[in-house]
Order: sequence, then structure tokens, then C-alpha cells
Amino acid sequence: MADLQLEGVVKRFGEVQTIHGIDLDVTHGEFVVFVGPSGCGKSTLLRLIAGLEELSEGDIRIGGESVAHLPAAQRGVAMVFQSYALYPHMTVRENMGFGLRMAKFDKAEIDRRVEEAAAILKLEPLLERRPKALSGGQRQRVAIGRTIVRNPKVFLFDEPLSNLDAELRVQMRVEIAKLHAALGNTMVYVTHDQVEAMTMADKIVVLRDGRIEQVGSPLELYLNPVNEFVAGFIGSPRMNFFECRVLDVADDRLRLELPGDERIDMPADATGLRSGDRVTLGIRPEHILEHDRADIRLAIDVEVVEHLGGSTFVYARHIGGDAITLQVGGLSDIQPKDHRRVSFSRQICQLFDGDGRNISPHKVPGELKDEEPGQAATA
Amino acid sequence: MTANKRLKTLGWYLVLAGLGYLFLFPLLFMIVSSFKPESAIFTDLYSLRAILPVGELTLDNYQGVFDKSRIGHYFLNSLLITGGTVVMGLFVNSLLAFSLSRLEWRGQKLILSAVIALMIIPLEAVVVPMLLLVSQLPSLGWEEGRLVLEGSWMNTRHVQMLPFVANAFFIFLFYQFFRDIPKDFDEAAKLDGASPFQIYRHIIVPMSGPVFATVAILHFMVMWNQYLWPIMAVQSEAARPVMPGIQIFFGRETKWGEIFAYASFITLPVLVVFMIFQKRFVRSLAGAGIKG
Amino acid sequence: MHSSINETKSVGLSADAAGAGRATDFRQARRRERRYGYLLSFPALLGLFMFLVLPFLMAVGMSFTDQRLLSPNAAEWVGLRNYERLLSVDWLVQEAERSDLGEVVRDAGGEPEFPSLRTVLRGDPAYREYREFTSWQWGEKRYVLLAKDPRFIQSFLNTLLFVMLVVPLQCGLALGLALLINRQLRGISVFRAIFFSPVVTSIVVVSIVWTFLYHRDVGVLNHYLQALTFGLVGPIDWLGDSDWAMPSIVIMSAWQACGVQMLIFLAGLQGISQDLYEAAELDGAGRWSQFWHITLPGLRNTMVFVILSTTVQAFGLFTQVDVMTGGGPQGSTSTVMFHAVAKGFREQDIAYGSAISVVFFLVILLIALLQKKFFDAREAK
Repeated sequence: MADLQLEGVVKRFGEVQTIHGIDLDVTHGEFVVFVGPSGCGKSTLLRLIAGLEELSEGDIRIGGESVAHLPAAQRGVAMVFQSYALYPHMTVRENMGFGLRMAKFDKAEIDRRVEEAAAILKLEPLLERRPKALSGGQRQRVAIGRTIVRNPKVFLFDEPLSNLDAELRVQMRVEIAKLHAALGNTMVYVTHDQVEAMTMADKIVVLRDGRIEQVGSPLELYLNPVNEFVAGFIGSPRMNFFECRVLDVADDRLRLELPGDERIDMPADATGLRSGDRVTLGIRPEHILEHDRADIRLAIDVEVVEHLGGSTFVYARHIGGDAITLQVGGLSDIQPKDHRRVSFSRQICQLFDGDGRNISPHKVPGELKDEEPGQAATA
Repeated sequence: MTANKRLKTLGWYLVLAGLGYLFLFPLLFMIVSSFKPESAIFTDLYSLRAILPVGELTLDNYQGVFDKSRIGHYFLNSLLITGGTVVMGLFVNSLLAFSLSRLEWRGQKLILSAVIALMIIPLEAVVVPMLLLVSQLPSLGWEEGRLVLEGSWMNTRHVQMLPFVANAFFIFLFYQFFRDIPKDFDEAAKLDGASPFQIYRHIIVPMSGPVFATVAILHFMVMWNQYLWPIMAVQSEAARPVMPGIQIFFGRETKWGEIFAYASFITLPVLVVFMIFQKRFVRSLAGAGIKG
Repeated sequence: MHSSINETKSVGLSADAAGAGRATDFRQARRRERRYGYLLSFPALLGLFMFLVLPFLMAVGMSFTDQRLLSPNAAEWVGLRNYERLLSVDWLVQEAERSDLGEVVRDAGGEPEFPSLRTVLRGDPAYREYREFTSWQWGEKRYVLLAKDPRFIQSFLNTLLFVMLVVPLQCGLALGLALLINRQLRGISVFRAIFFSPVVTSIVVVSIVWTFLYHRDVGVLNHYLQALTFGLVGPIDWLGDSDWAMPSIVIMSAWQACGVQMLIFLAGLQGISQDLYEAAELDGAGRWSQFWHITLPGLRNTMVFVILSTTVQAFGLFTQVDVMTGGGPQGSTSTVMFHAVAKGFREQDIAYGSAISVVFFLVILLIALLQKKFFDAREAK
């Protein structure tokens, strides 16, 4: 078993603290994705797990044993680098076998392991080539193959797909997911791309400024972001936010004034809120409907329409003047300069208090109904 | 191509050919004359024949040089000194550069600035005191089966090698090259369990072929053409290299054919290296200048 | 398939068993890295210290003593005496000799006669150790420049002359060649190699060949010079005439070494974006103004580097002089380094040679500082 536990992990570079006490439990076989904007500390965290950086405080345990004091090579981890770091002077075979060679494995054993890994990744015909003679996707596979031969307890991936073009990225995403299913090892994956996070992760860890914002499954993060930051970061296009004024407070509901004077009642954890406070309403572009039959209505002025075929992005302003983005069906007849009324369900939107904390009720996937098939919950 | 443009191109070639003649003449003249009898050198001197291997050609001049001078021995000395120094230099200089660019240790910033600062001290500024230094450094010797310290470094081969192994400029060239290799390679190797020396040997060195070639070529040239230091530190024939050798020959002999034969013979190695590595020469020197 | 892999142990763990003596602790690993750092640095640092730093410090130290190369007597502290001997200059004015009647004594050619300088210098303790460096006559007075080591002053001025002649010539030649070969012509790399070939040839060999070419009677140079001027000019005794010896060395040195700077300029030229030239052409700039407004400004940094490195190199002039003229005629090609070797090595006066080396180094340092200042100023802009 190779559980991975981080306990009070702190990293300082000289005076500057970049990781501020991270606690995290990863169970054996989980695929965990660290996601966050650049500079959030996700790569540093990965390098701390790898042993490429030394911990300032806290502990890291793999399979229950502390590895914080161990040098990189002895932690039983293997890493796929963003640049792949394939040694250009070595063949694919030599690249994959280098770690075993350093650990003084005999040649037959190295060959056996390399060939097994090559079979998994369909690299057999390429074993005698050098990295220069490989395509981007093939290099990516070799970089993964190099980690497989070492049979690590934990696989680490540092933005491994960022050097690939869009199409290949999708393909490799699937391959890595398949690999995870086949090997069943614990994998930790760093990316700034929330789409990658959503599609691959068992568990997403959203980081900001060296702190964990939220840990959870992709759908959990999508439906119940703990705060405005996570809500904005997860999901594409980005969630729309409107500032509202609290008119009236009851135990479990608020009466709000939307920009443009529309007044609505919202279920919410209203503790500590008073009338006159400002709260933020969040609604995902894909949850806004083209008709005005849902319970919260908005009047918008359409500015730009992007037809993607399968869906349509609409960039507009509503009466209050704020920008608003809609994701509607691919065959929508919406036109620039249209003046429209759109609507959304109060059940699907989020409400954040003045500190950005989510105060809307917890949402459970099964209890929500997609208003229009194929629109909701696409990330 | 228009006629005008064609004419222009022809013009450039004429200019290039004229200048090429000026730059090639002394070298060609030297080599060609080394194969001619003394009188022919002078009769051919003022025509194109001066640089053409025409008329009676002979190896007499070379025969004469080998009879009168221990040129073969000097040549061997130069080969040993140059080869030894270049090999040691590649190793020693690249190790320091590796250590400076890829390992972490206290004082490395200071050492790096020191190395850069040392680049400006020319050899000429230290030869005089170095002469005193090496005259007082003892050599190792065998006497009656025991290792003893004896004599000084003067008149040895190693006095011509050891002072030139470490070289700030070459360290800097290595450093620049190593610095631009992504750190990911080291970290990948570290995860693979490689020690710093294994990273140097298995990762960095194989990836740095170009800079090793550049430094080897430059170092070779410097060492083969050494003159000032050996005329000071070496008086004995036993350890004498080729450049002081020809200077002494030049001062003593009067037959130009033989002098040119001597000169051609000792120029041969650099010419061979130059012709093989012509492209690398160009790139290395140009690159060194821009960055240096 | 994957199960067979999972059966084998993880490498990280196996390494513990396989690599006895390996670091097993993070801090230990870092300490080990540091130790490696020192260890791998050591040989080169030792070399640099032993054969660059130490001799340099020795030079500074010994320049205040009377150290000799091979001497049974221990060296003694002499303070600034070496520098005094090196750098002392003075002057005096001599009045023409007059007869008892007060008339100026003149020689057969009608020139005034002066008292023997030697006697004057010996007679006056203020001029002890001074010797004549140069003198000139003005009416009935004779002005004499004195130095304790006139040959050093001469060598220093010779070196300056060499630098001032060779730097513009060599750099100009290099730039011209670089411009010439920076074009798309078939076989241009052959010419590039030809222009560069003197660089790889030893300067000793080049000096010997050129000694022949410079020969007064049989030399090719005089032959063509006379042919081109129909015998009006020449023959010049290039290396035997004290006016011509240094310029001769200058020409040969520039010819021999300009290939290096040519390549550096070439790299600089190729670093200038082709777009700039095309934009200028669209703006109607001719070849000349393109050169003036794009090429030269684009080469500025390269130019400074080339000029300064050539200058530093030129200050070290030794080999050509040693092979071709031995410092002569009449000391007209003696240089700072030649003098340092003559004193420190040939006369075995290490202390005095060291003092010359220190002065030499200070000049180099000054140039290097100027270079640094220039680049810093540019970066500040």
C-alpha cells in the first residue's frame, strides 16, 4: 500500500514562505490533481514530495513511513517532468533503463523491465531511437515509461501535457487515465489547466498562494465550491458573478436585490448577515437558459456570439452593466445586438458572502435536474 | 540573373581572390618552398611560381632539418605536452564549471566571480614570478628505488603542462554551456539515483560535445604554439618543444629552404586540425567572442 | 501484464540494498552534494591558484625586494626602489658651452657645443642613476629628458605606439573582411577559412616567414613596392630601420590575427535582424546609409569587445619582437613584455621583472575597468 500523507508541510525559500502548512491524505491508488493558478505552489509541493526540495517544516509519509528525510532517489517515487528531461544522447531503451543502471541492476533485469514497460506504452518499435527522432507524444510516452520501469510507489507528473498540441493533449489524457487504471498506483498530477484536472482526477486539490482552498472530487468542486475563488477557477467558461444587496434576512433564506432591481428569494446560510450587506451571486454560463421561464430572470444586451458548433458562447451585458457569459445550445438563433431575457434556476446558482465563502445550500448531483440535456455540468 | 548582377558577383569574386592571395601567400610560399632547392626559391620568388609546386621538388630540406636538429624529439615533446595538457584541462576545467553551475555549495558565487575576474590576467603578467616559483618547486624522482624530491621543475615537460591545465576562460566557456542545460535533466537523474559525479559523467558530459570540442581545439592551439614560457623555463633539449626549437634553428641556420621545411613540419598538426574542424573553429571563436 | 511489474520491488527501495555507502538522509545528501562541489572544484582551483594567483601575488611581493632568479643570498626588502628605477623621469636644460669671452662655442658645422651629459649627471647627486632618454636642441639650449631606465620608458612608448597602430588596423581589416564574407556567394566559406588560416599558424612561424618577405634585398615586399613605384620608393630595410621596424611588425601582426576579430564581427553582423535592412530599404536608404545607421549601431557591443580585447592582447606583444628583431634596432621594437623578459629572465633580476609585470598588469586592469564601465553604463541606459 502506498498512501501519501502530507502533514503541516511548509516550504520557505530564504525569507519567503511559499507553502503555508499543507495537510493532505491521499489513499493508495488515487489519482490526485494539484491545480491552481501559476505561482500557487503546486509545483513546489510536487517537488517536495519528490525530494527535489527540502521540507522546511512538517512531514511527508509514503505507505505510512516518513520520507521527509530521504533523498529523492530513495523515496520510491518517479516523476514525469514538464520538459520530459529525456537524455538526448541516450536511446529510448537507455533512457528508460538509466535509473535501474544507477541502482546497479543487472542487464537482463533492466532489459526485461524496459521491455515490459515499452509493451504497456506501445514503445517497442522505438526502443533504439533517440529522443530527437520521436514525436511529442512519443517522447511523452517515453518519459512515462521511464517512471514505470522503476515501479514507484507514487507517480508524480509535473504539467506533463503542456508541451503538446491540443489534440495530442486530449489523447494523452486518456492514455494516462488508462495507465492509471492498469497500474493502480498512486499518482499525483500537477496542472494549471482545470479541464485536465476535471477529466483526470479522482481527487482535485485546488491551491492558491501556498494554501489548499478545497479538496474534493471534480463534481463536488463543480457543484459545491467552498468559495468564490474555487468557483471561478473550476469550470469553463468561467462562472458569472453578480454583486447583490441583501434586503431582508431570515434563518435559511435571503431576500436579494439583483443589479437591475430584480428582487429574489434565495435559500442560504444567512448566519451573520444583515440587510444592507453585499453578497455575490454566481451562475455558470452553461446554467443560464435562453428563455425566461426559470425562476430568476435577467435582461441582457448581446455583444458577441461565438458558434462552436456543439455549443454557442454568448458574451453580453445585463442591465446592471456587468459582463455576462452564456453557454447555450449549438443551434441557438441568438444574434449580436439582440436584446433578450434569459433566466436560470435558483437551485443551481451559488451565493458567496462578503469574504467569498459559499453560503448556498449543499447540492447533491442526483437531486438536480438538467434543464436542457447536454448543457449542464460540462466542464 | 541579370548581366549587371552577374558582373557584380564577378567583381566580388575578384576582390575575394585578391585578398585571399594576400592571406594565403606566406603560408603557401612557406610550404611550397620547403620542397624546392635553395636556388629555386629565389628564382621563383617574384612570380606566381613562388606558391606553385613546380620545377624540381625535393625532400632535401627536410633531410637537412632532421640531420641538423632534433626536430623529431621536439615534435614528440610538443605532442606529449599539448595532448597531456588538453586532456587534463578538459577534465579539470569542466569539473569546476559543473560544480559551479549545477551543484550547491558555500562560496560558489564568490569563486565564480573570481574565475571571471581571473580571465583578464594575461599569461604575460605572471611569467616572470612563475619562473621563480617553478625553479623552487621540487620534482619527484626515483633514487635507489625510493621516491625522492629532487631538483626543480625547470627543464621538464610537466613545467610546460601543469601551469596551463586550469584555465579561467575555458572554465567560463564550460560554465556558460552547462548553465544553459535545463536543470530537469539533473533532477531526473537525481530521482534515478545518480550521484553528482554520475550526473557529470552520464548526463552532462555526453550532452556537451560541442563545448568540449571547442575547448579542446582552442586549448590545442594555445599549447602547440607555446613560445614565451618554454624559452624561459626550458633550456635543455630533452624537454624542448617545437616553437623554441625553430627559433633556435632560425637563429643558427641560413638555408631558407630548411627553415621553411622546419616551419612547415611543425605547422602541419595545426593545419590538419584546422582543416578537419574548420566549421567548429569558426563557430567556437565567434561564439566565444560574443559571449565573452 | 502490470502485475508482473508490481511483483518486482520498487527501485527506490532496492537502491537501499544495492547502494551501500549511499546517502540515505536528505541532509546527508545535501552535505554530500556540497562535498562533491568542493571536491570537483578543487583541481582547477588549485591550478588557478598555483599558477595564476600565487605568481601574481609573488610578483607584487617581490617587486619590493631584490630577489634574483638564482642567487645564494636571501632577498631583501628594498621598498619602492624597483618602481623608482622603473618610473623615474627627469629633465634638465643645458646651456651651450661658452668661451672665456662669453661666445658660444660651435663645432665645425656651426652647431653649438654642449658639455658632456655624462659628466653633468655624474657631478650632480640629484641626477644619480639617471641616463639620457632623449634630447633636443633649441637655439643655444639643449633640453634633455632623463630616466633611470630609459629602455623601459622607450619600451612603454613603443608598446603604446604598437597598440595605437595595430588596434585600428586589425579591427578595421577584420570588419572589412567580415562585411566582405557576410554575403551569399558560392564558396564563401572557403574564403572565410583562407582569411582565418594565419590565425592557426603559430606566430613564431609567421614571424620567420615574414622576416623573409621583409628582407631588404630579396624580400617580396620590396620587390613589388619598387615595381609598383617604378623604383622610386625603396628598397626599405623594413626590419633593420628603426623607423620602419615597428610598423612592419604592426602590419604583420594585424594580418596574422585579424581572422579572429573577423569571425566575431561576422557573428555580430549575423545577429542584426534582416528585417531592419528590409525596412530601411523600403524607407529608401541606400547601401551606405544602411551601413551607417543599421550595421554600425548594431555592431556597437561587438565593436567595444573587439577593440578592448585586441588592445589587451596588443599590450602583451613579445613573440614577434623576439623572433624578428630582438628588440632592435636601437631598441625601437623593445616592448614592455620584451623588457620584462630581458630583465627578469635574461638578466635574472626577478624583482625588477616583477615590478614591470605589475605595471603591465595595472595597465591591463585599467583597460578592463574601462570596458566594464562602458558596459555598465550601457546597461544602465
